[in-house]
Amino acid sequence: MKVLDIRLEEYEEKKAIVQKLRSMGLPTPKTEHYRYFGIRPIFDKDYELVLPSAKQIEEADHIEIVDGVVTKAPKEIYVEFLKKSSIDDSHYDQVYYINHLLVPYIIHIELESDTQLKIVQKFTKNGAFVPYRIKLSIAPNTHIRLYEEFLSLAEESLYFYGYDVDIAKDGSLKVIQNRVTNIENFAQIGSHSIKCDENARFELYTFDFGEAKTLHNYHVTLGQYAQCDANHVIFGKQSCRLGNTFHIENRGKESKVSQLSRNILKDKARGIFDGLLIVKNPAKYSSIYQDSKTILLNDGAFMVSKPQMEIYTEFITEATHGSTTGHLDEEALFYLRQRGIAKEDAKEMLVLSFLNEIFEKLGDEEIKKEFIELYEEQR
Amino acid sequence: MTKKMEKMMEIKDLHAKIGEKEILKGINLDLFKGKVHAIMGPNGAGKSTLSKAIVGHPDVEITEGKIIYKGKDITHMEPEERALEGIFMAFQHPVEIPGVNNAYFLRTALNAKRKHLGLPPLNAAEFLRLLKEKIKELGMREEMIHRSLNEGFSGGEKKLNEILQMEILEPDFVILDEIDSGLDIDALKKVSEAINKMRTDDRTFMIITHYRKILDYIQPDYVHVLKDGKVLKTGGIEIVDALEKEGYKIFGEE
Repeated sequence: MKVLDIRLEEYEEKKAIVQKLRSMGLPTPKTEHYRYFGIRPIFDKDYELVLPSAKQIEEADHIEIVDGVVTKAPKEIYVEFLKKSSIDDSHYDQVYYINHLLVPYIIHIELESDTQLKIVQKFTKNGAFVPYRIKLSIAPNTHIRLYEEFLSLAEESLYFYGYDVDIAKDGSLKVIQNRVTNIENFAQIGSHSIKCDENARFELYTFDFGEAKTLHNYHVTLGQYAQCDANHVIFGKQSCRLGNTFHIENRGKESKVSQLSRNILKDKARGIFDGLLIVKNPAKYSSIYQDSKTILLNDGAFMVSKPQMEIYTEFITEATHGSTTGHLDEEALFYLRQRGIAKEDAKEMLVLSFLNEIFEKLGDEEIKKEFIELYEEQR
Repeated sequence: MTKKMEKMMEIKDLHAKIGEKEILKGINLDLFKGKVHAIMGPNGAGKSTLSKAIVGHPDVEITEGKIIYKGKDITHMEPEERALEGIFMAFQHPVEIPGVNNAYFLRTALNAKRKHLGLPPLNAAEFLRLLKEKIKELGMREEMIHRSLNEGFSGGEKKLNEILQMEILEPDFVILDEIDSGLDIDALKKVSEAINKMRTDDRTFMIITHYRKILDYIQPDYVHVLKDGKVLKTGGIEIVDALEKEGYKIFGEE
């Protein structure tokens, strides 16, 4: 099937979603957040629709999801499969609703005590269109660290997935996503909804590597005193298109958003950072900050950087945004080479220094080491 | 019997341009092992372009002539290869590189050189011992080890950091490109003392300067005056005395 061949009338049991899609319309190449991603060649392909089906879960020290099916999980983690679940009724991405429409169930992971969790996602089906969704519910005053790793083996495939996250009052979720997708004809759209209740904190670190076409669309809402700290690194090569789009809404007073995007692009790679921060009228004394920087390693690479803000209150504590795109500093490169450091090593040193701000914030030497190894493999 | 002076570097009929502008128009210069060569000249004479040509700066295009170093033609060698062969330049304006730790950078550079020499790399502890010793000798603050390369350093600290790198890397041919610019008298003395300590029979220094002061602290063996992309005059310290009195006009400068 082709993605947009879905017949809405066949999903009448999911009335609210159908209505939402009818009012929004299906995504087109001109839809703002898909404008630079190029959905037409991806959506026009004929795929085999592969819907996930629940199976026996093997015990392991991490959660493994293969083609949308949970295959492994630690016994202390509660995983269930929901036929029905509440959805975000103000998401900006049509794919969020299409995804909810297609999935037969939602993987639900309920977290009620402080946990360090690892999820490995594998994509193995060739020529397939695989939709699935994961819901994370984090109890009040519960603090979760989630490390997620992607392993992409599928050719000519399209994966729709996404998280619906509820972080209850005083809770926190720190997500580190290591998204390596090295197959050129692999495509993925992640459409996420994150709801932070009062004084909740959502911290996100995404590392996108590779040659594929992947886009992640995040709708984040913040209650009073809630915080969103989102950090993104893209290292793209060949003719990849890797990107993140955001709508982050400060809905409650004194909520805070900080967004850093650092991108390194080579060959004909395209990177996308399209972030809209919206401060609603009740969100008085909120702070919002956005900073996107890109290094193009050669002339064919291209970055779309769109930091945007909409502020509907007169009382704002901070609102700052900026974006720069340029090449590696030639004088700095020469300085390092003049000290006997080989050109490629000197470039790597500069690239890592460019990303240092994000690594410093992350404060995890193991992840940094892993990133450096990946960078060395990919460069 | 006097010892025959050995050439460290020979610059033969060197022509070079930056962009479309020809700056060096036939430089001929012999630089000897164990000697200090001062390069002077008015603004625009080609002093900095000459140093850039020697270290292989990508802005400089050599159109004619040769640079022979330790008997090897290095005219078109990559900058890092020249550095590994022992050519070091202390920059007039060292670049600031946020996020690159000073110690990490210097250990990478030293281990690249040790690898080139067939020596095993220094581990972090061994290197830190060496670095701390040198930092102490130079009277630098130890916290500079952990700071980003040249970031937020004062002018004097940047120049001292160049000298620190020189001491760690122990090059054979050192270019000091206006190392005296922006230094107060105490910093100039400190830098000069460190350079004098590095003087050996096997090491050559090329000091590019506009001012006599540094040459009071570091006695040059030769002084070369450049003008309009050529070497106009070569001699001893008496040239500096003449320049002090009369300016470059004594060598035909208007």
